[in-house]
Amino acid sequence: MARIALQSVRKSFGYHPVLHGVSIDIEDGEFVILVGPSGCGKSTLLRMIAGLEEVTAGDIRIGDRVVNDLAPKERDIAMVFQNYALYPHMTVAENMAFSLKLAGAPKAEKDAAVGRAAEILGLAPLLGRYPKELSGGQRQRVAMGRAIVRDPSVFLFDEPLSNLDAKLRVQMRGEIKSLHQRLKTTMVYVTHDQIEAMTMADRIVVMNGGRVEQIGRPLDLYETPANLFVASFIGSPSMNLIEGEVARGDGRPLFRTTDGLALPLPDGTNAAPGRRLVYGVRPEHVAPAAEADADATATIELVEPTGAETQVQMRLGEHLATGTFRDWPIGRPGERIGLRLQRDKIHLFDQETGERLDAARPRTAGAAGRAA
Amino acid sequence: MAQATSLAPGKSPLVEPAAQSRAPARRSGGLRNIGRTWPVLVLFLPPAILLFTLFVILPIGEAGWYSLFDWSGYGRPDEFIGLKNFELLWRSGAFRTALTNNGLIIVISLALQLPLALWLATLVSHRIPGATVFRLIFFLPYVLADVAAGLIWRFIYDGDYGLVASIASLLGFETPYVLADRTIAIYAVLAVIVWKYFGFHMMLFIAGLQSIDKSLYEAADIDGATGWQKFTNVTLPLLSPTIRLSVFFAVVGSLQLFDMIMPLTGGGPSNSTQTMVTFLYTYGITRMKVGFGSAIGVVLFVICVTLAFGYRRIFMKND
Ligand SMILES: Nc1ncnc2c1ncn2[C@@H]1O[C@H](COP(=O)(O)OP(=O)(O)OP(=O)(O)O)[C@@H](O)[C@H]1O
Ligand SMILES: [Mg+2]
Repeated sequence: MARIALQSVRKSFGYHPVLHGVSIDIEDGEFVILVGPSGCGKSTLLRMIAGLEEVTAGDIRIGDRVVNDLAPKERDIAMVFQNYALYPHMTVAENMAFSLKLAGAPKAEKDAAVGRAAEILGLAPLLGRYPKELSGGQRQRVAMGRAIVRDPSVFLFDEPLSNLDAKLRVQMRGEIKSLHQRLKTTMVYVTHDQIEAMTMADRIVVMNGGRVEQIGRPLDLYETPANLFVASFIGSPSMNLIEGEVARGDGRPLFRTTDGLALPLPDGTNAAPGRRLVYGVRPEHVAPAAEADADATATIELVEPTGAETQVQMRLGEHLATGTFRDWPIGRPGERIGLRLQRDKIHLFDQETGERLDAARPRTAGAAGRAA
Repeated sequence: MAQATSLAPGKSPLVEPAAQSRAPARRSGGLRNIGRTWPVLVLFLPPAILLFTLFVILPIGEAGWYSLFDWSGYGRPDEFIGLKNFELLWRSGAFRTALTNNGLIIVISLALQLPLALWLATLVSHRIPGATVFRLIFFLPYVLADVAAGLIWRFIYDGDYGLVASIASLLGFETPYVLADRTIAIYAVLAVIVWKYFGFHMMLFIAGLQSIDKSLYEAADIDGATGWQKFTNVTLPLLSPTIRLSVFFAVVGSLQLFDMIMPLTGGGPSNSTQTMVTFLYTYGITRMKVGFGSAIGVVLFVICVTLAFGYRRIFMKND
């Protein structure tokens, strides 16, 4: 087990910069997930931790050692690859025992280690098979088994579930999570699937374009996204975002768009009239309301029941908005519907910088009452 | 010369396409399948059998028949001598030298040429700048016509004007007449063979190496493998189908060796660099003993077929 500390880590391939100074501290035993859109540098960062890519600048520490110049095998890590990278000419048992074989471990020790890992992952009946004789999920498990056998202080995963079908993915998600709870080893996990990140991680690192956008616990990212990118990346369906500016309403400030929409600002919003903002509210914080209570009125465009809830696409002025409704006799496309926004769940971002307006944090709402 | 072609030993691999084309029909045998496969059989089998008979069975049978005669190639073969040609062959010292030389060529191919080709392939298969240039340079000798290569090296080895002579005199050695020396001529030939064909095997190996998943090496890095351990535990096992193919080509190729030897040494001096095919040509064709030549062809054919099929059966059954 070990902490990992990344300090202003940079990476360029040739003259092409990919990571622009990434700093992350990962606690001992923590399950951290790197998430972000394709090409943002997640795999590169993970491979740098593993020692498969050189560090252009900055420091990577595992435990108390700077490992920048250490070979992968000296870093006490194990990695699970997206395509599993199982040795095709070795049986499951040989695959799992390979690292011990290289280290010259006696047979008894190898058998014990493989047996232990096989038991944890339910691989015992498959030990004599070759990778090509296994299903995707089984291969995935063997790849994890190979990592467990090494008994590393850090596990690294690069999109380990992306080759599996949806159902198996959910199952393996649970297995990896419980593996973490059982082994209590530091794990760094890369995915571009924000649901995977939300359900599994102790903390999530949201990356974009070679930079860290935000680091936090899943619910923190959900409740207080630090900027527009995180706001739109985390959450499914994603947050409704509408551009406009602060306007003086009768008595309290309002948010007004160019197409004449007027939306309520949360209490204690710290923004001068005329300031250009992006107004955000998640679909699940929009509710149908009677005309009298409604903050706005929209036209229904599309109704998609998913069972437990119903997703409704609506036209709000010139904007498209999504609502996730639980139980309400929702109208049909073309009908008008009154909407009420949950006041303490409204997010405001600066239009220029994309940064979150501090005063809009639900936790601190009402702390600063400069509404003039 | 037409006889020589039909006797040519290296045609044995030709046997296989025809054999294979029949195999699926046999395999998918079940009664229900016959209804669907018989048009295929009728359409494709007769031409295959015809061609196979015309170009493989008949010439071989003919050679077998001629080998029983003392025949110059003109007129009708009428002097039947039974197995006398084979007996002559067995007692010929030159033929035994040719056999030994072929064996030596195979040994050198396997022990020197293939490892060299594999080593170079591992060096130039990386996507580093300049690698492709080296790949091309190493492949050039193979592209060269065999006859041209033989001629070129004859000049290089020339004791009076050749490169070897110049280098030797530059270093202050006595100029060696490499190709005129009975004891070393064969080694000079072997050197040319390695030079000529390693590029071909290197290309095979490069293709094989590039089909190995790079992440396996990364996994091995993380598992703690050294460079040598990666080579023995990942590269070699995953390259083994390519290696077996390469060995197959080396063996068959060495049995066919002819074009390059003729301009280089012509089998001399005193038969010391004969191979089976140059021996066939020298003693069977140029001396107008077509019956004797046919006997050589038959022996060569038997050796080739035994080696080729035995090899495939034992080593390449899973490929
Ligand atoms: N070996 C390389 N040489 C040059 N550029 C590279 C190399 N590897 C990655 N890159 C570039 O670095 C950037 C980040 O790549 P990386 O693989 O880390 O993305 P990622 O976040 O893992 O994306 P994905 O979700 O698609 O796997 C990409 O723009 C990619 O083109
Ligand atoms: Mg990736």
